[in-house]
Amino acid sequence: MKSIFEISFPLKSELMTTVRLAAGGVCAMKGLDIDAAEDCKVCITESLLLLKHRGYLTANIFFYEGEPLSVRIVGEGEGDGTPSPEDDISLALLSALLGDVETTERDGKLHSISFEIGLK
Amino acid sequence: MMTETELQSQTAGESAETEEQELFRRYRETGSRELRNKIAEKYLHIAAILAKKFVGRGVEYDDLYQVASLALLKGIDRFDERKGLKFSTFITPTITGEIKNYFRDRSRLVHLPRRISELRASVRRTAEELSAELGKKPTAAEIAERLGVSEEEVLYCAEAGGVVSLDRTEGDSDMSFYDILPAENDVFDRIETHDVVSSALKGLDEREKKLVECRFGEELSQAETARRMGVSQMYVSRMERKILEKLRERLKKSMAE
Repeated sequence: MKSIFEISFPLKSELMTTVRLAAGGVCAMKGLDIDAAEDCKVCITESLLLLKHRGYLTANIFFYEGEPLSVRIVGEGEGDGTPSPEDDISLALLSALLGDVETTERDGKLHSISFEIGLK
Repeated sequence: MMTETELQSQTAGESAETEEQELFRRYRETGSRELRNKIAEKYLHIAAILAKKFVGRGVEYDDLYQVASLALLKGIDRFDERKGLKFSTFITPTITGEIKNYFRDRSRLVHLPRRISELRASVRRTAEELSAELGKKPTAAEIAERLGVSEEEVLYCAEAGGVVSLDRTEGDSDMSFYDILPAENDVFDRIETHDVVSSALKGLDEREKKLVECRFGEELSQAETARRMGVSQMYVSRMERKILEKLRERLKKSMAE
């Protein structure tokens, strides 16, 4: 599948707002309504937190062409990370907002999160 | 193979889960309010975490936290630990759903005019500033002077914007807002209108009454009315104009009387 927009950035808390803004921009460009765009931003933030807590140093976000909008968030690099008790809440929130969330693991560790959002 | 730390963490997780199940089992069996409060306090942080995630959508954190906390209380009563789900996994969609419902319902509430809404925020901010400066709660006049608006506007803003329950009663009265507020189709208005219209219609002949019934009772088109009455559409149009003039005159007369 062809990505229409990609972001690669160091997984640092101070960059979250910038990433959320960029995600909001992509959602607006794809015609998602305000609620769906806000939900998308929340889901991206939660995914990034999950990856950060697993010690990834870099995150790549891919937005794919099509309706609904497909998003994939992938962790790269090895660093220190400790799964947080809040991870359960993050995962449950992703399910609550999206319905279907696809995750992949690498070496027994969460590696990527994919979801679709917006009207079909 | 698990490392020692992983093993310790898993054991701790299992013990926390057992403790959670035990707490909910006791609550389910006893229905004790004290236990319910204990559970609520233990998981209130989930309401806080989720409320924070939805900040920035035009609703203040405190309101979201309140909605989330109420959803938490409802969820505690509905949770069944025997189904093997962790409470955090169960309650997150419940709270999220309530918050999203709140956003949806809120968009249907009556909105304050923008100016009042902005002034209301300024009044609140200024009241806090003046409280700190004066060491006492400021009066409406003091807030008005600081903001350069009239005292009435400050008082109006203090009144505006709150959402009240329709079941709330005022003073000693047993009547709720719901009892007092007029219905959208006020029955008295309808009776009055009905009286006036039926007396005005009395003066019409059968053919004219039939036309009024078709056009304004059944809301048929002029063409359909013409077909029903076996006349041309042009005739219906002319007749309708004549009838309306006649009714207007009669209504004017009856109102003057």
